[in-house]
Amino acid sequence: MHALARRTVVGLLARIGRTAEIVARHAGEIAILTWRAAVATVTGRVALRDVFAQLQTIGVGSIPLVAVTSILSGVVTSQQGGYQFTSSIPLYVLGSVVTSSVVLELGPVMTSFVLIGLVGARITAELGTMKVSEQIDALYSLGRDPVSVLAAPRIIAGTIATPLLVGLSNAIGVFAGLVAAQFAVGLGPSSFLYGARMYWHSWDLLYSIAKGLVFGFIIPVISVHMGFDTRGGAEGVGRATTASVVFMIITVLVLDATFPPLFLN
Amino acid sequence: MIEYIDVYKAFDVPVLSGVSLTVETRETISIVGPSGTGKSVLLKTTNGLLVPDSGDVRIDGVSVYRSDRGALARIRRKVGYVFQYAALFDSMNVFENVCTGLPDGEARRARSPEVLRKVCDALEDVNLDPALVLNKIPSELSGGMRKRVGLARAIVGRPEILLYDEPVTGLDPVNTATISRLILEIRERSHVTSILVTHDILQALEISDRVALLTHGKLRFVGTPGEFRESDDPVVRAFADRQAAAQAAVQLVENDGEEKTEEEP
Repeated sequence: MHALARRTVVGLLARIGRTAEIVARHAGEIAILTWRAAVATVTGRVALRDVFAQLQTIGVGSIPLVAVTSILSGVVTSQQGGYQFTSSIPLYVLGSVVTSSVVLELGPVMTSFVLIGLVGARITAELGTMKVSEQIDALYSLGRDPVSVLAAPRIIAGTIATPLLVGLSNAIGVFAGLVAAQFAVGLGPSSFLYGARMYWHSWDLLYSIAKGLVFGFIIPVISVHMGFDTRGGAEGVGRATTASVVFMIITVLVLDATFPPLFLN
Repeated sequence: MIEYIDVYKAFDVPVLSGVSLTVETRETISIVGPSGTGKSVLLKTTNGLLVPDSGDVRIDGVSVYRSDRGALARIRRKVGYVFQYAALFDSMNVFENVCTGLPDGEARRARSPEVLRKVCDALEDVNLDPALVLNKIPSELSGGMRKRVGLARAIVGRPEILLYDEPVTGLDPVNTATISRLILEIRERSHVTSILVTHDILQALEISDRVALLTHGKLRFVGTPGEFRESDDPVVRAFADRQAAAQAAVQLVENDGEEKTEEEP
């Protein structure tokens, strides 16, 4: 019994050790990738046309899905808030609840989740396929730096596009909440906006956009790194894409949890 | 001249265990050997696609691994690499793919008549009609055509050294013969130094000045095709016998085909 317990503890510690080693390796490689992408950008080795192409794909291409999720977030928040506020709390407070929920949390996080599924997974699969079919090696052999050609344009475009998408998501979400409040609980637009203004801080918008900036940077960095790290054929591409999505979701949620204690106190 | 000096490389197990080889300027050498013995790994150490654990590779006296990054870039410009599965860029058409083989400055002027002429010349050098293939994407090409586009991409920048990684793997006998003839033509025309990694002993003996046999991570034999055929080494003999066996098999298939043709009314 004692031996079994010891084996279990040793096994658990070994697993934790292995996981820590993997996380440390990825963190180190991501730091190196970030540094190399920054150097490539500063030294002018990133083609503007590649950045614009990625802005089109990441930014413009994500607008429809970001809009849909923002509408639904605003509508659901408004309906649930209205359901809870039908007794003692003044109904116009719903305007503040919806606005704060959307701007502080739902806008940046839902936009990030859309980008993880729509953009991050695609980047990992695309670069992973290039890796296993030796296209990345081909770039090296042709004297091209894959970080300048493939990584940096995606990271720059993600960092620029995501805060803009978050801003758009906030606007759409609040507007959808305003419309839903009218139909769900009969709260008119002027009362909704009155409540929204009552507890509004300009800092909230900056906070929201800052989240977008951080998430918009980390999503392409992780997805590019996981793509470059892919090994072993089609199965490897599938494995890398799944791991990349999990890695991105956890990272976004952890970063999201660090924002309030750092910036809202 | 290319010098491999005591090159060691291991992944989970040792792959190259102290390979030393000198390839003279304008020489064509084939590296043959069983699967998984490190032939492609050795080839990839030539231009830094894989970094040896120890040892060095020198090209015209310049170390690939102990020089600055600028030296590696200059070495890569000297070396054309033909990948096993061509490694064409999926998202680019044939013109753009071949363009990437040009030096950076020229590739940026992709629409200039001079660049178009160079790309067309390279395609004609590998027996492809530019008018037919220029705007096609890799997925629209056959396996043999893809390999030839890969070859065109490798030669368009007029390299001094050409590295061929299994150039005929997966090709039918006609395409195999075509690629072998192209390798010979390019050698005669451009006076390049060529290193060919192949499973095809027949091809190796036919087009090489010397043949090197790599087994268990070490060079077991280096000599002319004549010396290879006449070697008393049992391992070399096994490869030579395999060649005889292959010839017999080809003869058998051809005879069978002829008999069937004669039987037809």
